[in-house]
Formats: sequence, structure tokens, C-alpha cells
Amino acid sequence: MDVLTLSHVSKSFGQHRVIENLEFCIPEHTVYGFIGQNGAGKTTTMKIILGLLRADTGVITVNGKQVCYGQNHTNQFIGYLPDVPEFYGFLTPIEYLELCGEITGMEKREIRRRSEEMLELVGLSERKKRVQGFSRGMKQRLGIAQALLNRPKLLICDEPTSALDPVGRKEILDILHTVKEHTTVLFSTHILSDVERICDKIAFLHNGKLEFQGTLEEIRSQRQGRGFQIEFYRKEDVALFLKYFPGTVSEGGYKVLCERNMGNNMQNNMKYVEKNMTHAMEFVVKNNMAIRSIEMLETTLENLFMEVVGQ
Amino acid sequence: MRAFLAFTKKEWVELIRTGRLAILLVLFSLFGIMNPAVAKLTPWMMEMMADSLKETGLTVAAVKVDAMTSWTQFYKNIPIAMVIFLLMFGGILTAEYQKGTLINMLTKGLARWKVILAKGCIMTATWTVCYWLCYGITYGYNWYFWENGIASHLGLAAACVWILGIWLIAVMLLMSTVFQTSSAVLAATGGIALVSYVVGLIPKARKFLPTHLLAASGMLSGAGSVEEYWCAVWVTIGLGVLGLLAAVIVYNKK
Ligand SMILES: Nc1ncnc2c1ncn2[C@@H]1O[C@H](COP(=O)(O)OP(=O)(O)OP(=O)(O)O)[C@@H](O)[C@H]1O
Ligand SMILES: [Mg+2]
Repeated sequence: MDVLTLSHVSKSFGQHRVIENLEFCIPEHTVYGFIGQNGAGKTTTMKIILGLLRADTGVITVNGKQVCYGQNHTNQFIGYLPDVPEFYGFLTPIEYLELCGEITGMEKREIRRRSEEMLELVGLSERKKRVQGFSRGMKQRLGIAQALLNRPKLLICDEPTSALDPVGRKEILDILHTVKEHTTVLFSTHILSDVERICDKIAFLHNGKLEFQGTLEEIRSQRQGRGFQIEFYRKEDVALFLKYFPGTVSEGGYKVLCERNMGNNMQNNMKYVEKNMTHAMEFVVKNNMAIRSIEMLETTLENLFMEVVGQ
Repeated sequence: MRAFLAFTKKEWVELIRTGRLAILLVLFSLFGIMNPAVAKLTPWMMEMMADSLKETGLTVAAVKVDAMTSWTQFYKNIPIAMVIFLLMFGGILTAEYQKGTLINMLTKGLARWKVILAKGCIMTATWTVCYWLCYGITYGYNWYFWENGIASHLGLAAACVWILGIWLIAVMLLMSTVFQTSSAVLAATGGIALVSYVVGLIPKARKFLPTHLLAASGMLSGAGSVEEYWCAVWVTIGLGVLGLLAAVIVYNKK
């Protein structure tokens, strides 16, 4: 079952079209990565899902119930971590979690147990200190604890790792990965390695449109066969090679890049890339060229990102 | 109900931990002490001045002070205390918008009217405690030094000003739902009080206006009758309730 579905969601701020006809759904127990540049509309999308902003058009359902702007009955299924979490500085983490628990109507004993459990999970040891003096990373941890407190069906995190050190980032990602068993996670980020580490499905948002979405496997199948690269020993060989294979480009020095669209109408297909490569190798052998290296190039998420963004 | 209580408790903890309550208690106590102190010191100051004035040829008649002098001071000073009180709570709602702390509460299902009501309750309770503390201290000293019996309708007159304070709290809450910054809220609240005052300059309208309650000290000397204030009391209470309702409605629309 899909925990979250969006269909034909659009949103403008005045003349500025921030989101255009957004459409995707998240099945249960998935970690869904939401990628996009600054200002791509990630936070805006999340706020619409939470009913904090009004969508101009479109329907959103959370756990089968439709989201209405300003109403918060669907929010009982959602745990939300804002991009810059703000808490009452005069409360301690335990007190803050208690307040959250009371508001969501949890039982007293349950609140106490769950608070301890969550603070343990996010590794926040200073639970008797007031939030006032917390660093951003500590606030982020408390943010995750409060978002998970009442066992939400859907956890929405807006850049959960942006304020964290490498160790903290890994810890938080591990947490998101483990809570997947009980909940569904939607999180936004700029950090592509995070996505590769834990996401089941990803979506690229660019100029308010979904440029690409799919499971990581689908992307992996794409990422192979971007092309290959040969490094020669002699300049003459480079020139000869470039002349014989018109689609290839010199990378400067002794390197030659053969992208997957080498030739004219090669497809983005592994088979063709492999064929191209063996073809090139035959040529190299036939002409007695010495090479330093030959290497298949993989499409990284970064390449994909750049491609989507158009750079 | 639990959500409301939890949020009210948070407001209460905030009041204590930010030191706001302590400051207000000290302040209102000082005001309470000041009233009889000023009354007590007046003759002495007059004497001092009389000495220096005598050299210039002026003579000052001895002044007689009693509880009335102290109560007059009370009604002269309490508006200042009221303004300070309002200044301290000017950002009670706007600070939460600006910091974004409320969003989390609202997304967790806290109804908006509970936010308004919790803040209103806490402010009213604080005002009540502070105000009657100030009153009580002045009353105690006056009883000790002089005789309170000389002033009539003491409690009634004091209650009038107390109600005025509650009205101002309701107005401020309403303004907090309309404006985004605390300075705008304070300016608007002050503006409304000023309108009430200016309209009150028309003699016919005066007795229907909340600010008329500030003149309730007239009851003490018997110069004004109690009946003269009933209208203003009811109008003030009515406007206060309306203000609170409007605040809830406006806030729900946001
Ligand atoms: N309240 C608002 N009024 C007007 N424009 C807004 C508002 N909120 C966001 N925008 C605009 O919408 C666009 C998308 O903003 P959004 O915050 O969703 O981006 P984002 O993808 O979360 O970016 P980041 O990666 O920096 O967090 C931006 O161009 C921003 O200027
Ligand atoms: Mg954002």
C-alpha cells in the first residue's frame, strides 16, 4: 500500500511557479530520497504534504486520507523534522518530548518509555540540559526523536544530515535505515552519497518538476555504460584514435573519453558500450598502440544530477 | 484538554525559567511599597524644601498625609506598571512565529484556539497575581500607618483597574494574531487604548469606555458614584470576550 501519494500537485508563489504537476507515490517501508538544488521546491513540497501550505491544484493522500490545508488530521500519521528545527530553549529534551507526547495524546507511561528509547536511539545524552545551549547537530537529533515519538506511519525529514559531522551523519542515516521497518521515510538532501547509502527510491526535483524517479536499481542499471576512457602513451596514437572514432573526445593530455553516445545513434545501452569498447580495443591492438589504462566509466548520481540540472 | 494543559504548562515553565515572573513580582512589589513610601516621605520632603524656601521668603504650610495620599499614588502609578507588564508580554505570540517553534506543535495536532487560550490564561493569571500583590502591599502599609477606612469602595475601585488590564491582554492577543512583530502588536494595542481615551474626552461617551475605569479612584473619595462605572465595566468585559473570540477566529484562518 502507498503511504503517500501526490497527484498533479502544483504551487506558485505569486508569479513564481515553484512546483509543477508533481506526481509520485511512496509505498510502505521504503526510504524515499528527494534530491534537488537549492530552491528546487523540496521544502515547499513537504510543507504542502503537512498541510502548512496550500497547493494550487492536485490531491495528496497520506495513509489513504486526503490532506487539507490548515487541517491536521492527516498529521497524526506523520512525523516531521523541519530543515532548521526550533525548540523551546528553556525546556530540556525530556520535557520537550513530554510536551509533544501530550499534544499527540499518547499515554503518560508510553511517553516516558518512548522518550527514553528515542533519546537513546538518536544518541542524545544530555537530556537534563536545556535546549538553549544545544548545537545544531544536537537539535537535529532531538528533532528526529520528536518526529519518531508517536510511531508515525510516515517520517518526513528535511535535510536531516545537513548540520551533522561525518560520524553523526552516518549515525542518523543508520537510524533512518533502521526505522524503515516500522515506518516509511521521505527525506530531502543535497548529499548524493547519503542517497546511495540508504534510499530505496529516489526522485530528482528540478525547476519544480520531477525529472527522474525510480528505484536505486533502475538508476544503477542506467549508471553502467556511461562510456569508457583510454589513456595512451603517445600523442600520435591519440590523434589517430580520435580521427578513427569521430564521437570520441580528447580529455587533454593522453586521455580519450568515449561516451555512450559515441558514434551517432548508439543507445544508452550497456550492450553497445561494451561493443564499442571491444571495438576500440581491437583497433588499439591492430595499430600497435600502447596504452596506460582503459576503464569503463560508471554513471554516478552526480553525473545524473548534473545532467538533470543541465550542466 | 490534555494538549491544552500541556501547552499551558509549557507557558508556565517559560514564565518561570525566562525569569519573567520573578521580574514582574519584584516590580509590582516595588510599586506596592512605593505608594505608601511616597506618601510617608512627602511631609519630610516638604519640610526639607520649606527650609530652603524660607530663605527665599516663601512659607509652606504643613501637609497632612493619610491613606488617601497613598491610594492616590497607587492609581497614579498602576498605569505605568500595566504598560511594563504589556511590554513584557508583547512578543508572547509573535516570538513563536518568528522562531518557528509553534509549527511543530501545530503539525502535531495542537488546535490553534488552544494556543490562544493557553497564552490568554497565563497572562491573565500573571496579571491577577501581580496586580493584587501590588494592591495587597499598599493596603497593608496603609493599614499599618494610617486608616484605610477613610477611603470608600477600595476593592471595587481596584477591581475596575484589574478588569481594564484583562481587557488590554485580550486586545494584545488579538493584535498578536493580526501582526507579525511584537513592536507592531504593542503599537496597535497602545493605539486602541489611545482611541478609547480620546473618544473618552467627549463627556457623553466617557462612561461607556474601558479607559474610564482608570478614573475609578474617584470612588474612593466619594466624588464619583459606583453606578457611574458599571457601564464601563460591562463594556470592557464584553469587548474583552469579543477580542478573545476574534483572536481565535483570526488565528484559525492563518
Ligand atoms: N513563502 C514563500 N514566498 C515566496 N516564495 C517562496 C516561499 N517559500 C519558498 N519560496 C520559493 O520557492 C522556491 C522553492 O523553495 P524551497 O524552500 O521549497 O526550496 P528547497 O528545495 O527546499 O531548497 P533548499 O535545498 O535550499 O532547502 C524558492 O525559489 C523560494 O524562493
Ligand atoms: Mg529546503
